[in-house]
Amino acid sequence: MALELSQVEQDGHCIVMAKGEIDLYSSPQLREAILKACKATKGKVGVNLSEVAYMDSSGVATLVEGLQASGGADSFLLLAPSPSVLKVLQLSRLDSVFSIVETL
Amino acid sequence: MVPDKDLTIVFRSSPRLLGDVRAMIRSYLCNQGLDEDKIQEVVLAVDEACTNSIRHAYTGQEDKKLELSMNSGDGWIELELCDSGIPAPYDRVKRKSDEAIAAEVLTPGGLGMHLIYNVFDDVTFTPGEAEGNTIMMRLRCA
Repeated sequence: MALELSQVEQDGHCIVMAKGEIDLYSSPQLREAILKACKATKGKVGVNLSEVAYMDSSGVATLVEGLQASGGADSFLLLAPSPSVLKVLQLSRLDSVFSIVETL
Repeated sequence: MVPDKDLTIVFRSSPRLLGDVRAMIRSYLCNQGLDEDKIQEVVLAVDEACTNSIRHAYTGQEDKKLELSMNSGDGWIELELCDSGIPAPYDRVKRKSDEAIAAEVLTPGGLGMHLIYNVFDDVTFTPGEAEGNTIMMRLRCA
């Protein structure tokens, strides 16, 4: 399953919609989309992970990079992460590093 | 010659193939009586081992060989991954504390090894003298 990415503007914020699998092969695409969103908005950046069927540590590292690029957990939000995304964040003991919300 | 492992797959070190490799691991684990939660964790951890071999042992070269064996018996499920790339330095593959990992999350490969140690009951990483790495990941099962 490939990774599909799109970008949505909402109330001055920018949301990256991710759908599919995030691994060593696809995480560079996610990285590019997140960094583009960080540049495109003065508001918050959200990454919608509700339709991510699989994510590995390269995806986690990409999200940490987004967190740093956007200026911290107040301006970088993970939206509605799927159970498999939550699992890898928990296994990494990094679930508390991110702001995890259902909607922006 | 009779193979000494249930199943062995040999594949190229291309990130593009990792989805196929995950599907094969999942397929094998589904027949070993593990619950879905544990299957997800094991698939993730073995994928991390493959990713580390591709990124570090083979420095991203996509035309190298990886060999993954899967076996079960005596109350254990065993997955062993072999590459013939650059042997990993001990400091990169040793077990670390959660705190150490949190502090260096962007260090290449560190988080992947952490996940592997968290998922399996027994992990032995053996870097070769001159080349290659073998990682044996064992899970105790009922």
